[in-house]
Amino acid sequence: MADKSKLGWEFPVRSIEVPKNKIAEFAAAVAQMEDIDHIKEIYRDVDAARKAGYDNIPIPPTFPTCFPFWTGGGLMGILNGVGADLSKLLHAEEEYEFLAPIYAGDHITCTMKVAEMYDRGKKDRKGWYIQVTVLVTEAFNQRGELVLRARTTFMER
Amino acid sequence: MPIDFDSIAVVDSMPSYTSAPITRMHLARYAGASGDFNPLHTDETFARSIGLDSVIAHGMFIAGIAGEAVTSWIENKYLRKISVHFLSMTQPANLDDFENTRDRATVTVTGTVTDKYEENGEKRIRCEITVRDAQGGRKLKGFFVAALP
Repeated sequence: MADKSKLGWEFPVRSIEVPKNKIAEFAAAVAQMEDIDHIKEIYRDVDAARKAGYDNIPIPPTFPTCFPFWTGGGLMGILNGVGADLSKLLHAEEEYEFLAPIYAGDHITCTMKVAEMYDRGKKDRKGWYIQVTVLVTEAFNQRGELVLRARTTFMER
Repeated sequence: MPIDFDSIAVVDSMPSYTSAPITRMHLARYAGASGDFNPLHTDETFARSIGLDSVIAHGMFIAGIAGEAVTSWIENKYLRKISVHFLSMTQPANLDDFENTRDRATVTVTGTVTDKYEENGEKRIRCEITVRDAQGGRKLKGFFVAALP
């Protein structure tokens, strides 16, 4: 069960580059395409992206889900960070606020904080007692601009 | 046809979008693409060890399909927020029993515009989205906010 003493804890700050090919791979995965020739052009062709009004290849809307896995030490790194149990874990909610564009080649620095930890239900009613943990991630680009605020809510059943 | 703020009205529907039947291959591909290697999504033995009948789709894979649906209608650059709440698990289709399992693994994304307003000097819409499987089971609800020209 999540370790309540971790409330307010911040993960080590880490930076990653957003790889062009990783954007195409992600776009193919969510569009259930076999190969990247069939994904939306803006995710694979920089000229098409520029023509559509982007400075470079943009990210698909839920692509920021990758950031904590890449900067937080993978799923187990995140779970160990908050003392959560993989066998009881359920993802409850996810929210992204897009504050500025994120493009292929950007260097993204993520801060991630344990923002909330609380219980729902009663311990004596089996199945109704869950522990909720909320992580807030903020992503900054290479110019120091806040580009994304993410809120991840998971539960342990 | 390009979409602008004036051409959209509250209660307008987003074009619905239906996925291909989700298979374990799609989950493996999404795991690699996203970096989410929770064995719950790719390892049958782990899923059974925690009391499930099979692996289940990543919630964020279903959300990703919703994102693909949204950006098939509203250009990516106009999105300001997307928020999803997971309602139930999605089991992939079984390839050795495809006819009986494809419906649970095929999801349709629908949406309805619920608000039009100005914020931060932008003309914005709010659209509620729902994802259901082909048996009617609700998988996800949420909303997005877009700023339109």
